[in-house]
Amino acid sequence: MARNSRGHAPSVSLAAALGLGILGAGVALPASAHHSFALFDHQNRVTVTGTVLKFEWTNPHVFIQLEVPDASGSKHYTVECASPNVLTRVGWKFNDVKQGDKVTLLINPLRNGQPGGMLEKATLSDGRELSDGNPPAGVFPRS
Amino acid sequence: MPMPRLGPMLGAAIAAAVLLGTAAQAADAEKPARRDLGPVDFTGDWQRYPGIGGRGGPPDPAALPPPATKMVLRPKYQGPYDARRARERESDAKGEPIAASGVDCLPYGMPEMMSAIYPLEILQTPGQVTIIAEAFSQVRRIYIGKPQAKIGDVAPGYYGHSVAHWEGSTLVVDTIGVKESVLGHSEMPHSDQMRITERLRLVRPDILHDQITVEDPVTLEQPWTFTFAYKRMRDYEMLEYVCENNHEYIDDQGVTHLRLQDQDNK
Repeated sequence: MARNSRGHAPSVSLAAALGLGILGAGVALPASAHHSFALFDHQNRVTVTGTVLKFEWTNPHVFIQLEVPDASGSKHYTVECASPNVLTRVGWKFNDVKQGDKVTLLINPLRNGQPGGMLEKATLSDGRELSDGNPPAGVFPRS
Repeated sequence: MPMPRLGPMLGAAIAAAVLLGTAAQAADAEKPARRDLGPVDFTGDWQRYPGIGGRGGPPDPAALPPPATKMVLRPKYQGPYDARRARERESDAKGEPIAASGVDCLPYGMPEMMSAIYPLEILQTPGQVTIIAEAFSQVRRIYIGKPQAKIGDVAPGYYGHSVAHWEGSTLVVDTIGVKESVLGHSEMPHSDQMRITERLRLVRPDILHDQITVEDPVTLEQPWTFTFAYKRMRDYEMLEYVCENNHEYIDDQGVTHLRLQDQDNK
């Protein structure tokens, strides 16, 4: 099932979001991503609950393929996560998610309306909650 | 009473002695006293300092990298550079981001690989420093004490040709021969005349600074200097990184999309 929630505006500055406000101007910011994340709607969140079709523990990103029940039967969501490096640092393991698991994913949906998005937080079948490990408020430097 | 066959036993004894001798020689060769690494050994795994999003706790202000100087492009390059940034902002606002360097799964090359979005592993051996970036499994080799080639004699590559010498406890690295298609830090455009000078030094036993100065008489009005700082990681094991599953792709309009999983390819 999917539901929307608002109130997720990235109002903090980039430097503050990265915890770098103390550095002042002129410091080369760490590049956390060499591509834009503007595909995703960081103003909105959607919660999707479904059955895992595939857990892709790969670079450049981890993906969760999820079958989500809806009025027409089911819809296939493609959810982009951070990289194995980032997820490992926040407690994920490559085998934390398996085909057939029931999971709930809080995502920033694709802006083009297609069934997919970028992970913010996952609730796994054993009840554990794991974050995507990226800066808060969906703020990413484009570098 | 059968006599023991001395031939095979003698042969085995000689082989064992030879093996032991070889092992002893190998052990001698591994003794630190016989390995001339230079005044400082940077060997270890390193992550950017301070960590993104406050990771790693509050930083030591005295160990932070100094501010960068301003990147000043020559007018011929500044205009297209500014126009590109404007197009990025517009396309991002529409949710249709134009292609960026990371989407094609190619390594960053020099100097951007030193930005270390993921850890760096530095291996120092006599006459050489090897830097492995976890991101994209990038590798660069720095030859200590070798003369630099002439610009134009180096086949252009992602990491260029790097030689180095010691100035006290600072390793000064000179790099030329970076492909023009490899975008620099902050996507700085460069020519085949670009030269990168790095000054690597430990400012604390576990904090490394890499001061990077980029010179390019074609694209830059003046040298551009910025510093990356790194913190030593204890007991880290570098992760494999093969860019094998990129769902993001660029269409013929240069716009990035997310490839959704095919229902038939579950």
